[in-house]
Amino acid sequence: MKDSVASKKNAFACTMRNAAFAFAAAGSLGSTLWADASCAPPAELRARLTGTPSASAYNDLGIWFAGKEQYACSAEALATSLQLEPQQKDVAHIAFMFGVSLYFSGQTKDAIAALQQVEQMGYRDTRLHLVLASAFDSMQSNAGAEAEWRLALEQDWESAAALDGLSTDLNTDGNFAGTIALLEDPKVQSQRTATQSLNLGIAYEKTGKPAEAAVALQDGLNTTPDSLALANALAGVLVELSRTDEAAAVLRLQIDAHPDNAQEHARLGVLLAQGKRFAEAKTELEKAISLGDASGETTENLARVMRALDGKR
Amino acid sequence: MFPDVSTLQRPRRKIPAALTMVALAAVAAVPFTLSARFSGVAGLSRLPGSVMAAETSAKALLPISIDYPEDKSIFPPGIVPPQFLWRDAAGKSWTVEITFADKTAPIHLAVNAEHMKIGEIDPQCIGNPEDVPKLTPRMAATWTWTPDAATWATIQAHSVAQAATVTITGSRDDKTEASVARLTLSTSTDPVGAPIFYRDVPLMPSLGVSGAVSPLAPTSIHLIHWRMRDIRKPESHTVLKDMPTCANCHSFSADGKTFGMDIDGPANDKGLYAVVPVQKHITILRKDMVQWNTDGKVGTVRVGFMSQVSPDGRYVLSTFAGPALSRMIDSYYVTNFMDYRFLQVFYPTRGILEYYDRTTGLRQPLPGADDPKYVQTDGVWSHDGQWIVFARAEARDPRPEGQGIAYHALDSHEAPIRYELYRIRFNNGKGGTPERIVGASQNGMSNNFPKISPDGKWIVFVQCKNGQLMRPDSQLYIVPFAGGEARRMRANTRLMNSWHSFSPNGRWLVFSSKARSAYTQMYLTHIDANGNDSPAILIDNATAANRAVNIPEFVNMDPDGIDDIQVNVAGQQ
Repeated sequence: MKDSVASKKNAFACTMRNAAFAFAAAGSLGSTLWADASCAPPAELRARLTGTPSASAYNDLGIWFAGKEQYACSAEALATSLQLEPQQKDVAHIAFMFGVSLYFSGQTKDAIAALQQVEQMGYRDTRLHLVLASAFDSMQSNAGAEAEWRLALEQDWESAAALDGLSTDLNTDGNFAGTIALLEDPKVQSQRTATQSLNLGIAYEKTGKPAEAAVALQDGLNTTPDSLALANALAGVLVELSRTDEAAAVLRLQIDAHPDNAQEHARLGVLLAQGKRFAEAKTELEKAISLGDASGETTENLARVMRALDGKR
Repeated sequence: MFPDVSTLQRPRRKIPAALTMVALAAVAAVPFTLSARFSGVAGLSRLPGSVMAAETSAKALLPISIDYPEDKSIFPPGIVPPQFLWRDAAGKSWTVEITFADKTAPIHLAVNAEHMKIGEIDPQCIGNPEDVPKLTPRMAATWTWTPDAATWATIQAHSVAQAATVTITGSRDDKTEASVARLTLSTSTDPVGAPIFYRDVPLMPSLGVSGAVSPLAPTSIHLIHWRMRDIRKPESHTVLKDMPTCANCHSFSADGKTFGMDIDGPANDKGLYAVVPVQKHITILRKDMVQWNTDGKVGTVRVGFMSQVSPDGRYVLSTFAGPALSRMIDSYYVTNFMDYRFLQVFYPTRGILEYYDRTTGLRQPLPGADDPKYVQTDGVWSHDGQWIVFARAEARDPRPEGQGIAYHALDSHEAPIRYELYRIRFNNGKGGTPERIVGASQNGMSNNFPKISPDGKWIVFVQCKNGQLMRPDSQLYIVPFAGGEARRMRANTRLMNSWHSFSPNGRWLVFSSKARSAYTQMYLTHIDANGNDSPAILIDNATAANRAVNIPEFVNMDPDGIDDIQVNVAGQQ
């Protein structure tokens, strides 16, 4: 058993060293790191990076760069550390930071490879799965992302990032039943974020349950009253349920919160016109245009409303 | 500082545009114009003009989300006023109207709602500063109102025969109503009728020098308190604190006259059990201690928890490792985590039920619940003392070769175990043949921690995927005593429902939950003669916001029955 673990560790270290070496070789190597002005180390670390620097010095440098959001530099420093000392203490954590740095520096494919190695080593950190899931997402790899979101949730069932990400991905894949099962789980039910409420509302609506969608979206809006996405989705569902007055009330709330949002005025104008409240509709459509909505639709809608008003006279 | 990857903006797959608007179907159904941007569908901007929706009124009230109390809540008579909680996107001020079915004049109130707040923090109980309770976004959006004592008394007095209706109405300004929600609540004719004894603990997992995690550092053990609560009073009172050693599960006899409590022995081996008469001032002396580990032929290891004093106080029933084992770790799966929310998982994987007879000082296995092929645990007495209900599973090694390490609650590397409930006659210690309880067995779940209703009609137990008791997924179920269809209880909250206890009259159940906070709180539910229960009622202000309440137990005594408990076991070796 111990041999097996040691063997896995060695295999991991070997792979990670190769990855780090390839990465470092592609960039500026070792002590020449700070020759690149964009990766200049801070004065307090320079002394430790002269002569024969230790892996620890490169680790500190990597962390320093990451703190400055210079992730390419961070990745280089950590790669150098892993190359120098592939079996160092906390190698999995250093490799994790290396993978994260790759990801945030935009090298997604390499980040996935590195982080999967970290995963194979048995490194336990919810963040590992969150980053991997996001990386898979950005590579359009649905299955990979969903598996990683679920691994993150195994470790922390309340992880808002994982619940947001997984429910979004499930909806994107058309797995609306999956979204509903995920977000109606009693453990997370009452802690839903705006994104989760929106995704749940979408899932219900897409499965032909607009009343449930309205409940989920309204509940989300009651937690996050200024969410335009939730409000617009709720208004849409309410229209579907023929509850147009409530839909209008929802849009009015958003206009109260975002008075200069031309689109909300235009939406409200259309909705009011549907309810034959032409005078109010006219006001909203005119307001939308005055706020810069120059779309043909709004102009046309205003013209129709004006005709309707003329017809009434 | 390395970035907090859980909060950074990440690239995300594009969501199809059709999913960002859910009005698609609605638009197709409405013959008037919706702009393409509103509907998410192009080509619907033409307005036929002649076909229009019916004219609508200008007034539409949006729903308020009332989070507490839940609709159809049943309150015990005399309980202190509850704090109403709601979220409302539309309202900025609120009125509350309470109407009564008995024709009592309605109550109209313009309420001074306040944002939800985190309660008092005990500064001694802050381990990791990040674990101090914080408002979640939902809590931050929550408004609160607590009726004054007179209003609540009126509500209680007139909601007994029929429910009262509470209507909360939100306004954008003082004149324009914008939102509304209603709930009904009623007051039971059944009093709670007894105080609740409970343990009040810090959640401060501690990393030792060896890297081992303990649920509480030895230097903090004195912070554990035991408290009593009369639900008619706004606060609890502490009866025991500053214990030099860890004390665990407690148990009172059904007649309320005898008190027992697990106490860690000198070797931190769960080796002692205190059992004393209940009185106003209880003093536990060395002579009151049963030293399990040295008393007999049936083995020296007690894996125990859940020791239960018999209804008449004569016996104590507990789980022991049996004669074949000499180490606790061979019969007990326990793992501690640094995550304060669920910082410990524990359950026996081997063990038999034994009973201790206080009149003889002898401990004996209970035949029928003493089979070493199984782990038999969680034994409880029926109130007539005739039956024992217990949890049973096939015995197993808690840490077999090759089993991974669990890093958090519900980790797939936990030792898997699923208990089933059985009952057996006590038969004056002769035991009998265990009978499996249908509805609490063979259901693919772990059925555990049974409690028998005082009238002997029901068993309320915990169901979870693995292990027992205080798991994140623990849910309360009720099943007829002889077995039958188990029903998930209405009172279950979103997270962890366990440590339940019946009131002496059988009409109320107290239990613990992490519904609102990782710092466990106590709740009540009413149970009628048919076993139907009601939404959970919080027993507020049972401890500080950063302390947890567990092992609540109704005690069949006057609410002021115990003033204090002194433990004086110096020289217990």
